[in-house]
Amino acid sequence: MGGLQKKKFERGSATNYITRNKARKKLQLSLPDFRRLCILKGIYPHEPKHKKKVNKGSTAPRTFYLLKDIRFLLHEPIVGKFRDYKVFVRKLKKAYGKTEWSAVERLKENKPTYKLDHIIKERYPTFIDALRDIDDSLCMCFLFSTFARTGKCHVQTIQLCRRLTVEWMNYVITARALRKVFISIKGIYYQAEVMGQLITWLVPYQFSHDHPTDVDYRVMATFTELYTTLLGFINFRLYHSLNLLYPPKLDSKSESELKEENEEDYALNSECYLEKLSALSASLARVVSTAEEEEEAEPDQFPIEGEDLEKMEEKEKKQKEQEAQKKLFEGLKFYLNREVPRESLAFVIRCFGGEVSWDKSVCIGSTYEVTDETITHQIVDRPNINKQYINRYYIQPQWVYDCINAKILLPVEDYFLGVTLPPHLSPFVEEKDGDYMPPEKVKIMALQRGEKPVHEQEDDDEEEGEDDDEGEDEEEEDDNEDEEDDDAESEEKNLKKMEEQRSQGKSLQVKVTPGKMKVQNPARLEQEEKAEEKRLAIMMMKKKEKYLYDKIMFGKKRKIREANKLAAKRKAYDDAEKAKKKKARK
Amino acid sequence: MLGREYKSCRWRHHLHSGASALKKNKRVSFFQSFNMAAARRLKRVAASQPGFLHLKSTSDSIDSMSSRRKRVNKNKKKNWNKHSDIIDVEEFLEDVRHQERTTGGLLSEKSDDSLFFVDVGQSKKAEQKAESIEGKKRKGKTSRPLRIDLILQHDSLVPPPKDVLAYQQPNAKKLRRIAQKAEQLAAKGVVPRRQKQLPNRRPVDRKAKKAVTEANNNPDREYYDIWGQESKDSADPWYLQQTGKKLVTRPEKLNEKPSVLPAVEVIAPGGSYNPDFFSHQALLQEAHDVEVKKQKEEDKIQRQLAINKEDRATEETTLREQVEGLVEEENEEDTAPNEEEGGVAVGAIALAEKKTERQRKRQKADKIKEQQRLSDRRQTEQRQQLFQLRSIKSSIKQQEKKTKDKQKLRKAKQEAQKGQPRRLGRLKFQAQDLEVQLSDELAGSLRQLKPEGSVLKDRFKSLQKRNLIEPRERAKFKRIHKLKYVEKRAFREIT
Repeated sequence: MGGLQKKKFERGSATNYITRNKARKKLQLSLPDFRRLCILKGIYPHEPKHKKKVNKGSTAPRTFYLLKDIRFLLHEPIVGKFRDYKVFVRKLKKAYGKTEWSAVERLKENKPTYKLDHIIKERYPTFIDALRDIDDSLCMCFLFSTFARTGKCHVQTIQLCRRLTVEWMNYVITARALRKVFISIKGIYYQAEVMGQLITWLVPYQFSHDHPTDVDYRVMATFTELYTTLLGFINFRLYHSLNLLYPPKLDSKSESELKEENEEDYALNSECYLEKLSALSASLARVVSTAEEEEEAEPDQFPIEGEDLEKMEEKEKKQKEQEAQKKLFEGLKFYLNREVPRESLAFVIRCFGGEVSWDKSVCIGSTYEVTDETITHQIVDRPNINKQYINRYYIQPQWVYDCINAKILLPVEDYFLGVTLPPHLSPFVEEKDGDYMPPEKVKIMALQRGEKPVHEQEDDDEEEGEDDDEGEDEEEEDDNEDEEDDDAESEEKNLKKMEEQRSQGKSLQVKVTPGKMKVQNPARLEQEEKAEEKRLAIMMMKKKEKYLYDKIMFGKKRKIREANKLAAKRKAYDDAEKAKKKKARK
Repeated sequence: MLGREYKSCRWRHHLHSGASALKKNKRVSFFQSFNMAAARRLKRVAASQPGFLHLKSTSDSIDSMSSRRKRVNKNKKKNWNKHSDIIDVEEFLEDVRHQERTTGGLLSEKSDDSLFFVDVGQSKKAEQKAESIEGKKRKGKTSRPLRIDLILQHDSLVPPPKDVLAYQQPNAKKLRRIAQKAEQLAAKGVVPRRQKQLPNRRPVDRKAKKAVTEANNNPDREYYDIWGQESKDSADPWYLQQTGKKLVTRPEKLNEKPSVLPAVEVIAPGGSYNPDFFSHQALLQEAHDVEVKKQKEEDKIQRQLAINKEDRATEETTLREQVEGLVEEENEEDTAPNEEEGGVAVGAIALAEKKTERQRKRQKADKIKEQQRLSDRRQTEQRQQLFQLRSIKSSIKQQEKKTKDKQKLRKAKQEAQKGQPRRLGRLKFQAQDLEVQLSDELAGSLRQLKPEGSVLKDRFKSLQKRNLIEPRERAKFKRIHKLKYVEKRAFREIT
């Protein structure tokens, strides 16, 4: 009986896992190299279910990998390259130490490098797999492209990231793939739909970097190394799917437009082309030069099954909506003032078919100037502007983003200069029935349904009517304000009408209507004049007097308020009393 | 100084030969400049000429010659060396060398113009110039070379001898012959073999090498359709496998993501730059809750670390501590009776008696009886359970329900765990601080927006949260050797 005695930790989960240090020794790599290899190959640490069993009875916290994964790593050709690199560094150090410069030169020329192409192919066997995993790489590339070239990472990496991101943005513009934008305090979130995949990425604001010390730059650089390779291949494929040239070339027409005399002022000759591309104002050249506006043939639709008819209809409706959204800004001409974030706005506007330009001194690639009469919207982010053109709207940048999220052109009045903006709502929140919805969202949804905005002014009026027994002064002022409000309202309504008509692509109704006599109430006019005088007098007061006046007024108002309160109480009491009496009578 | 007498009779016959001989010899010297012996002879000849100038006087040599000659045998070489008087010759030679060193040739051969000039006194302008130069010298002292450089300067005017080896070519003869033969062949029109094969050679493939050395982060690198083309290496799979060139196929399991979380988590609607009031409040509340939790934990630790009130020293305890050991207490009395008890217990064990036969039988019978009684009781209970069937059934049902609930709970827990960061190393994952702007920090417009948080950190934490990398902390700087402070001398002098 008996047989050999079983030993502990020689079978079961203990043999399935390997600690990080052991794995490192097995691969004969240093810890940084091991980390890099794991990141590139997509092998991640694993938390075992029973740590004590795996850890041979010890409960010390350790990093574990699956043994099979490490065995898989043993076959990787890059491991050899890492070892080569180690030797190269050693030789280089030696040559430096001996001040053998020719040897240093020779070694540097033969620096061992490696390619990640086969890893990309291995990790993402199909294009769609890669596209699903692109979020990370986009975030990382956009992040690295905003880094200052100060030696936190290789300058070449930053340049490559910049190039790839510009290519990506150009693709999104040409494909009109953008869906949502959200300006947060962290950065700008974008969401695009590429080949049926929703892709979200985060772009940091420019120049907003403090370099945090608790981030491992080496790890991030390794991820970026992988992601740049991935994004490059994806870009290539995407460009070819749209019949675009890769690497991207500007359209010959737009290229000639962008040709300027003093290009050297902006950038070196070597960087000029990338700069022009990154200006995002010009369209790209296609492999087969087709007609400018090629009408896409609508695919015939066959109902697959009878029961799916409703779904089909829904789909169709959605598609139509999307098509409409894609052409949201078509025919509009934007001009960006210098204080607005140029790149983001240019990208967003071009994504929806708008034309965009900016001041020549802001960036290369501006196509028209402020003086252009055909500009419909000028985007301004300052309280007022001196020289205004009549035939264009001066709006704040939030309008553009809100329009995109609402999928319609919103009324511009809420976004005029110096106006307090309505809140910028997150498009990534999807409310279910019964959830709380901010009133602005309700309004936008109503607009989407095609309803006209309903003003809640009536309610206000009623309330004011009730509060009639307040002090005389207040009443007067209220009246005045009411009137002004009315005027503003009517104006707004007119503007809104015009706006809607314009968004629907109709030409404005130009009609001459017979004028109406305005009936003027002389008593009221007099009152108004008096009130105006009073207000002006208050405005002209000295600071000291104003202070005193305010105090007096405040005291008065307080008295009135207290009186009102008491009156209300009294009334309530009276009512109660009456009710009691009635009861007693009965 | 001119026309000095020479005692050495060997030179006498040269005296009459005059300038023509000198010139002849000089020409000879031109042709055989590297032949030292000839040169020496020439010098002697030159020195014997009537126009030769001596720098040193030779009077002492004359004195020595006047003394009595010593007789020695001259049939031995040793005596030649010892007794032949060559001082005069050596002196002369030394003199010649000296002249050559200092003037670059013999003084006697120099033309008069190079040796003399007519002193007409200094012209006034020159004097002035000299003064001005002196004045300048004082100012611009730097123009004068350093003394150390002057010392190191090569001051001899004799040119260094030519290096013969530099003009020699190894295998010159052979090479010459080969060249001659090649010329002959070329004249005949025969092309050598090596030249014939030149066009057959493969051109050097420089591009391929460059492609290999291209770095991964080269900003101008080229991409291609990686998914479109089929694998290039359609070579024999067996060959590839044996030569280690075949890539091992990636296991499917590795393509699963270690977490279900999305790559980019969009910030809550309250994080908008111009948020809706309620969502902003909700975000603030969330951030507040996190802070409160942190504060609570901190407080808990503080509480645990605080001193217990009872442990604090009172007058009584301090007094007791001071008197500890001075006052004898009556503990000894207490301990004494304990010992006695122990003694009794030990005695009891010892006193246990052996059982009798009868007692044993009795015990056995009792045991059997007890067992019988228990089995009877069990049987009746089982029989009774027949009537409790319903309640038993319900209890079983309850138990089953309980296990099912537990299973559900466990499964839900596991699901929830999937989104959680795992414990992958020494440290636990620590979520980033929530990015929040207080109500008064919110910017009115996009222009005035002040970005909050760092996107880099956000990405890094996201990678950790999705279990792609293990959480780590920055390595702390550890000093291997202790620092040693030494007062500097300059500092000590001051104090």
